[in-house]
Amino acid sequence: MHRAQRRLLIPAAVAASIALALTGCGASNFGGDSGGDGASEEGPIKIGAVLDITGVGANLGVPEQNTLNMLAEQLNEAGGIDGREVELIIKDNQSTEDGAAKATTQLIENDDVDLIIGSSRTGPSLAMRPLVEAAQVPTISVAANAAIVDGSEWVFKTAQNDLVVLERILDDAEAKGYTKLALVRDATGFGEGIADIITELGSERGITLTATESFEPSATDFTAQMTNIRAADADAVIIWGITPSAGLAQAAYVQLGVDKPVYQSHGVANDAFFEAAGPAADGVIAPMGRLLVADQLSDDDPQKAVIDQFIADYTESFDSAPSSFAGHAYDAWLVGTKAIEEAGTDPEALRDAIEATTDVVGISGIFTMTPENHSGLTADALIMALAEGGRWTLYEE
Amino acid sequence: MSYLNKAALRSKTGFWPNNRGTIIGVALLAVVILIVPFTASSSMMNIAVFSMIFALPAIGLSLLMGLAGQVSLGQAAFFAIGAYTHAILLQKFEMPGLVAAVGGVVAAMLAALLVGLPMLRLRGHYLALATLGLGFIVMIAVREWEFTGRTTGIYGYGRPEVFGIPIDNNGLFFWFVAPFVLLGLVLALNLTRSRAGRALSAVNDSELAAESLGVNTYALRVKVFTLSAGFAGLGGVFYAYQVQIVSPQVAEFHVSVELLLMVVIGGLGSVWGAIAGAFIVELLSEGLRDLIPAIIPGATGEVQLIGYGLVLILVIILLPGGLYQVVKTAWAAITSRIGARRADAAAPAGAAALPGGGADDGTAEAPTRAFGGLPGEGAASAPVDGTADGDAVGDGGHEASAPVPTVSVPVPAGAPILEVRGLTKRYGGVVAVDEVTLTVPAGQIMGLIGPNGAGKTTCFNMITGAIAPTSGTVSFLGSEIQGRKPHVGAEAGLTRTFQNLQVFSSTDVVGNVYMGRYRKGRAGILRGMLGLQGREQYRHEEIAREILETMQLGDVSGLAAGDLPFGRQRMMEVCRALASEPALLLLDEPMAGLSGREREMLATLLRRLRDAGLTIVLVEHDVAQVMALADTVAVLDDGVLIAHGDPESVRNDPAVIVAYLGTDAEEAEAELKELEEHA
Amino acid sequence: MTDFLQLTVAGLSQGSVYALLAVGLIATYTVRHVVNIAQGDYATLAGLGSISLVTAGLPLPVAILIALVSVTLASVLIERLVISRVKNLTTLVSIILTLGVSTLLQAIMLLIWGAEGKRLPAFPGSDLNLGGVSIRSQELWMLGALVVVGGGVLLFYEKTRWGKALRASAEQPVAARIVGISPAVASVIAFAIAGFVGAAAGVVSSPIYLSIWSGGLLLGLKGFVAAVLGGLVSFRAAIVGALLLGIIESYVAGYVASGWKDAVAFFILIIVLIIRPAGLVLRPNAVRV
Repeated sequence: MHRAQRRLLIPAAVAASIALALTGCGASNFGGDSGGDGASEEGPIKIGAVLDITGVGANLGVPEQNTLNMLAEQLNEAGGIDGREVELIIKDNQSTEDGAAKATTQLIENDDVDLIIGSSRTGPSLAMRPLVEAAQVPTISVAANAAIVDGSEWVFKTAQNDLVVLERILDDAEAKGYTKLALVRDATGFGEGIADIITELGSERGITLTATESFEPSATDFTAQMTNIRAADADAVIIWGITPSAGLAQAAYVQLGVDKPVYQSHGVANDAFFEAAGPAADGVIAPMGRLLVADQLSDDDPQKAVIDQFIADYTESFDSAPSSFAGHAYDAWLVGTKAIEEAGTDPEALRDAIEATTDVVGISGIFTMTPENHSGLTADALIMALAEGGRWTLYEE
Repeated sequence: MSYLNKAALRSKTGFWPNNRGTIIGVALLAVVILIVPFTASSSMMNIAVFSMIFALPAIGLSLLMGLAGQVSLGQAAFFAIGAYTHAILLQKFEMPGLVAAVGGVVAAMLAALLVGLPMLRLRGHYLALATLGLGFIVMIAVREWEFTGRTTGIYGYGRPEVFGIPIDNNGLFFWFVAPFVLLGLVLALNLTRSRAGRALSAVNDSELAAESLGVNTYALRVKVFTLSAGFAGLGGVFYAYQVQIVSPQVAEFHVSVELLLMVVIGGLGSVWGAIAGAFIVELLSEGLRDLIPAIIPGATGEVQLIGYGLVLILVIILLPGGLYQVVKTAWAAITSRIGARRADAAAPAGAAALPGGGADDGTAEAPTRAFGGLPGEGAASAPVDGTADGDAVGDGGHEASAPVPTVSVPVPAGAPILEVRGLTKRYGGVVAVDEVTLTVPAGQIMGLIGPNGAGKTTCFNMITGAIAPTSGTVSFLGSEIQGRKPHVGAEAGLTRTFQNLQVFSSTDVVGNVYMGRYRKGRAGILRGMLGLQGREQYRHEEIAREILETMQLGDVSGLAAGDLPFGRQRMMEVCRALASEPALLLLDEPMAGLSGREREMLATLLRRLRDAGLTIVLVEHDVAQVMALADTVAVLDDGVLIAHGDPESVRNDPAVIVAYLGTDAEEAEAELKELEEHA
Repeated sequence: MTDFLQLTVAGLSQGSVYALLAVGLIATYTVRHVVNIAQGDYATLAGLGSISLVTAGLPLPVAILIALVSVTLASVLIERLVISRVKNLTTLVSIILTLGVSTLLQAIMLLIWGAEGKRLPAFPGSDLNLGGVSIRSQELWMLGALVVVGGGVLLFYEKTRWGKALRASAEQPVAARIVGISPAVASVIAFAIAGFVGAAAGVVSSPIYLSIWSGGLLLGLKGFVAAVLGGLVSFRAAIVGALLLGIIESYVAGYVASGWKDAVAFFILIIVLIIRPAGLVLRPNAVRV
């Protein structure tokens, strides 16, 4: 072979391999069809989920992940939706806001999903909101704060609104004649705005908020906050957080010798609360869904059948009872797949179908969505539960 | 041989178009960048995107650690400041994308400048842990501040279009960020080879020596720290752009650890290594997240940390140079094999460059020939023949005709060039130097002698600024310099050598002497990064080489400085000091460790330098040498100046004799005589 | 006033943990000139270890004893396997190396004990309530541990022949040899002490502050801040500094905002370093050339 020929060989090979690469792998890294509107009406239905599987939200995210996996399997065994298989893609946001954003971007840009479920907590859910709105992908969050859905066209949620939870707490406080409340809240998105809501709801009931303290979900020492709460001399205290931190805060509260009654939020609706708080949990009152007190429900409760079935399935699959958070994921899946059954995967149609959800019986309550209400639950969805001997019991006046 | 030297020289002087290795490397990387979006799987693409984003702060950190020798455990702080500023400018002030991006970088640099000014006065552990503290402060501040969106952060600002193109996928974004990484790479590479870069690596070898040659260490470190933060800020801007949310997690400690890991894996101080390290760490992070739960059931959370920890430890213990070292060793092996094959055909020209290579052909022993290696150029450039009047002492024979290095003569001979008044140094209750007052006239050689522990070196250290005097003044060319850092005196023309050699071991002999030229250079960091100082550096290296030839060190100019025998290292230090064209040269025991021939040569040289107008002060143990060489002699004993005058009168001063040799003056005198004769 | 005292008590007990870690840091720094970033991880390791032993059914004192001994051995092992392997232990290298050890220890703890904080049962004793200020018996245990363990190390280094030789071994290997301590042995002893002190801090604080895999870093760093207040050489100044740091943190959390608590130490660190880099007690060291 001549020298000149050989010299041409290498660039030619490089050019050829580039050309090959060009045609070979397609342009998946350039977004395929842009945005979510290209979601295909053929092939498997893609549902993405972004959950707090590791990090401070793991107590929430792990049961949610379990639930979704279980439900997807059940659905596909039953033949999918309209004969189309359902592909579930779960991503871990590591309990971080930017993790949630990265995962969402991937779901939208690479996986081209039809529906997104998540995140487990408010902060990451808020981080996802502008992304799914820009890409117009219907999304159902399983976190609580109303800010996730307020004024959004594309985002829904299944956890009870903080507003209705606080209504239940304040109703109970009013009935007991408390006039001064103190709040110790989660410093992240879940706890933001809570003080304002209490002040507003309290003004109608003659209740004032005398002190507010906050803690990081990763905190283990609460002495300073609880010292200030003790000094506030309120009639009762609201601890608003998720496990384990809310449980540890409860323990610190009791250790400091404060004996005022405590309300906790629906963020402690799992057994992990008892592990973190220990005996200090006794006597805590918290509004939550019916799941954790299912065995105490009357037989004519409209949710009982659904809840019992879920508990049975979940316990069989995972050897442990489901938490309320598992229930939120169940509800998101239920609402989402029902809407896909009715409207298919066209984003606009799917969103309209979710918005039209009416009287769907779920784990956390009975859902009725409207364009104005993307939460779907009323105060009826909540019961008051009392912590007693390491478990939640139905508590009514 | 001279051709080979010049080629080597050019590759080091850093105007990057001259550097084939860099061009080829950058071109290859550019091609890879072009292809990757077409071939990579979507998960690989994701890794590629984030490794590009993190390569920027990693390059910055690599400059800081490699050049400035500082560990920063808070690089994430500047990354976060860049990201937050970008996001806030976009979201709250609705600035155009470009403005927000520039704002992010500027904010990071400003923050670094502000905290760097006080913090970079710290050393070692303190600086590292202060940067770590800074990282925590920034993380907590953005988490607690309403303006930065507290725990949730800033989001909902979207991605600005670039030249009208919406960047809405990984492929386009990769092409958007990659040119910046390439540009950053080239700028950083240029910087490491520039005047400032070489000064900083000299500082890492010996801060004292570098400062004594005029390097303002502190100012350079602040600049590099700020620059490094600029890289981090730019990375933060791209991160904010791509992820579309900036939350406190970007400032967290583990981000700083990841960045550190990138630099360590790549090889401390290697800019290429930082980019490779960024890719490897991203890959490792993703890979371990999948791998470890597969091996250990039930493992959740930040399991990739186990890999980080292991890699950090293993790389430091087994492979301190990182990937860069591996590649360099491999490359050297390959090229030497190829070189050997070529050398079979050609003449064995390179042999003289090998360590100890003088043995086979004897070129090392032929100074005139070595000097002739640069015919014509020597006369045209700097070395001026200061001994044109020909009154050189004749005993140097063959050196007599050689030119001496240029010196500066700011004041006429005899005028005071250095005045020391009441110089005192106390350590606790111990007085090391007590009220020394001394005037050194220009154009003379002064010997400073005294028994061990008399305070001679302490005096030197106070005069040059290495330590601050407890009281007293040092006035050089009319301005007081006591208590100032050594570079202050050095910039004015005062330089020194060291009793305990302070060799820049990371560079070769020319590189050492080149550092002597530092004070004659101009180019700063910016010019260095842009590669606009090749000509200047080339000229200075040429001069350094010529000085080495004059001092008969031309044959070893390409060797690592640490490989030279002790005596030649000492001579090299003298060359280095002379390269700065000093007005006053302080030599701390220059004769120690020299061979007889070398001593003779040095003595001749010093006389000729004196005749050219240089003022020299030398501390010396060898009393005979001093007496023979010096125009005046000062004697220190126990920190007190006990005698000062011409050699003859000092020699006969009874106090000196007692100080030197004990109580019996006559016996002492006899011994002294004997010593002198012996020498 | 009650709140003020309550916060002071909380600060003192937190400060006693920092103090023990500072003592450990100084123990290694004076001998090896290494700031051991993994110092705080010794504490969490001992805490988690003793929790597992108690869960396995061992009595509390036995569990604690085993944990103390194991972590001491672990520290020696780290010295032998990692620290002593590096010939030229520059500042940069030592920081990267101990950071690597810290990261590795944390990852191992994460894999073994999981992500959640765990609590050791409180030591025996009943809580006090003095005029509204509640003092948990565990807090007294913590202060007691500081007095016994921290004080013991202090006396060992300052009063005994061995301790003095250990301190000298960094600067004067010859002097140390005369007493019969080689630099290698000195280094091992120093790391053993650091391991033991760290472990003591970990078990004694676990009932109140919990033990969580990632908690050691911040604890160790605050110990470092306290050690810097003592110029990295003075045990007494470091202990006082640590207690002060704990109290200031507690006031900031109580009176300013709890979220800023962790930033306090670093503000103090940076300010002290800039104003008085040699610590609060010593005059600045002279530069020796």
